Amino acid sequence: MPEIRSRYDALVIGGGIAGIQAALDLAEQGFQILLVDKYPSIGGVMVGLNKVFPTLDCSSCICTPRMAEAAHHDRIQLQTYTEVAAVRKDGAGFEVQLTVKPRYMNEDACIGCGECELACPIDIPHEFDYGLGSRKAIYIPHGNAIPQKGVLMPEDCVFCGKCERICPTHCIDFTQEPQSVTTSVGAVVVATGLDITPMGKKPEYGGGRLANVMSPLQMERVQSSNGPYGRVLRPADGKIPRSIAYVQCAGSRDRSIGVPYCSRVCCMYAIKQALLLRHYIHGVDVTLYHMDIRAFGKGYEQFYRRAMAEGVKIVKGKVGRITEVDNYDLLVRVELLDADDRVVERRHDLVVLAQGIVAAWNPKGVIDLSVAEDGFLQRPQAKLNPSYTTMEGVFMAGAAAGPKDIPDAIVEAGEAAMSAAIYLYRTRGRAPAAAHVMAH
Amino acid sequence: MTDNVQPEAPKTEKAKRPIEILRDRQGGMSKELKERFTEQQRIYKAIRAALKAGPKTVPQLAAECKLEPPQTMWHLMALRRHGEIVEGAEENDYVVYRLKGA
Repeated sequence: MPEIRSRYDALVIGGGIAGIQAALDLAEQGFQILLVDKYPSIGGVMVGLNKVFPTLDCSSCICTPRMAEAAHHDRIQLQTYTEVAAVRKDGAGFEVQLTVKPRYMNEDACIGCGECELACPIDIPHEFDYGLGSRKAIYIPHGNAIPQKGVLMPEDCVFCGKCERICPTHCIDFTQEPQSVTTSVGAVVVATGLDITPMGKKPEYGGGRLANVMSPLQMERVQSSNGPYGRVLRPADGKIPRSIAYVQCAGSRDRSIGVPYCSRVCCMYAIKQALLLRHYIHGVDVTLYHMDIRAFGKGYEQFYRRAMAEGVKIVKGKVGRITEVDNYDLLVRVELLDADDRVVERRHDLVVLAQGIVAAWNPKGVIDLSVAEDGFLQRPQAKLNPSYTTMEGVFMAGAAAGPKDIPDAIVEAGEAAMSAAIYLYRTRGRAPAAAHVMAH
Repeated sequence: MTDNVQPEAPKTEKAKRPIEILRDRQGGMSKELKERFTEQQRIYKAIRAALKAGPKTVPQLAAECKLEPPQTMWHLMALRRHGEIVEGAEENDYVVYRLKGA
């Protein structure tokens, strides 16, 4: 892994699809970019999704080439498993303090063979599978991880030393410690992504308590061919679910949990998952309980109609409570919002809560950016300069600014990159150094 | 006898093996991790023994191993990931699992 240099044209915080796109767009203009991700792999949420709406492209198949492009770009330095500790204004640019977390292995020597994983004797719930699958204490984050390098979580280690003994390149180094590194950059793009509302926020829905109440990201992993079960099964007992319910607005448009806004993508990801379930399990009953469907993007309405045509049941109703009955089945109490306005109880094998989207990162203590009431970064010029933050020279992209789907995140990343480029040209009064080199 | 033998001096960081350095920095394994590890070995042993007697679904395995079905499912899927377990046919909406090579 190359050393962190003393200067870059721009820092991109977050290696999800928006951060990757912003880094690529800046690098293609000749700027030298430092792309930092706190996780051991770039790819963000997108690389773990099954398919994308409305095209049903394999998500990792379209995300991984971009990840590789960023990783192999001459003008992008990838710095994974690194936290941005502080960003301070320094003239027109910024002084950046980074904390490089120890992987406990020499990254240059690691060949990603996975021998250490096989030797490790303990299984831990895997974050990539949102707890449904397992990983070892030492592991390669996932099959599409970039870089394909191992990482050891010392808090999960049983200190047997087997991984060190079996490693063919002797790259494991248990003595590594966090490193603090300082660099300077001319501009910053914040692309810190999204999180979903916690499962326990609506206790009446049983999320995090009832084994067969799942999060939508768990369902993405269960539907993925490289998911924790290899097929769609219930987490409670491995049953092939025959009746599945989606509860919409289970973490959005709800003042009681502090998320009064619409998360924009829940209707579409739920419709996509519901349609795919109809493809994956012959004859499965999939019911989507909703307040209203918001199919806002190009081709989304047609996709919604296709799901209905292919047998997904769309029921207008507000779910009040979910309880577990015998055999881990679930009883869903719904107030139907149709002509009858009846309250009914319906039994389902599995329930997916369409949780809302919240900001994954708060800049407090790291960089002096203002946060809006909704927890996302404040947009002082929302209409004409949507990527501007409250600090000159710092721009935002993707879900750091608010809930959005993948195409919108990519469009905004391009806009943030262009704004950062203009800022760099303006503050330096010249083209990037690399562009001069290329011209000779 | 060994009356003259001095007690072993505590190892300096330099004299320790690298894994010992990490263990000491971490303060050893946490109580929760020790319990998880011990429980995991017990559950894997029980699942392997039950499947040695013949292929089973998750509820059948749970009943035989005296485990909760969700706990059985998670550990069975971990063993599947290790390559020890393979899927068989379906039986009343449940997948039947067996030991690889059995």
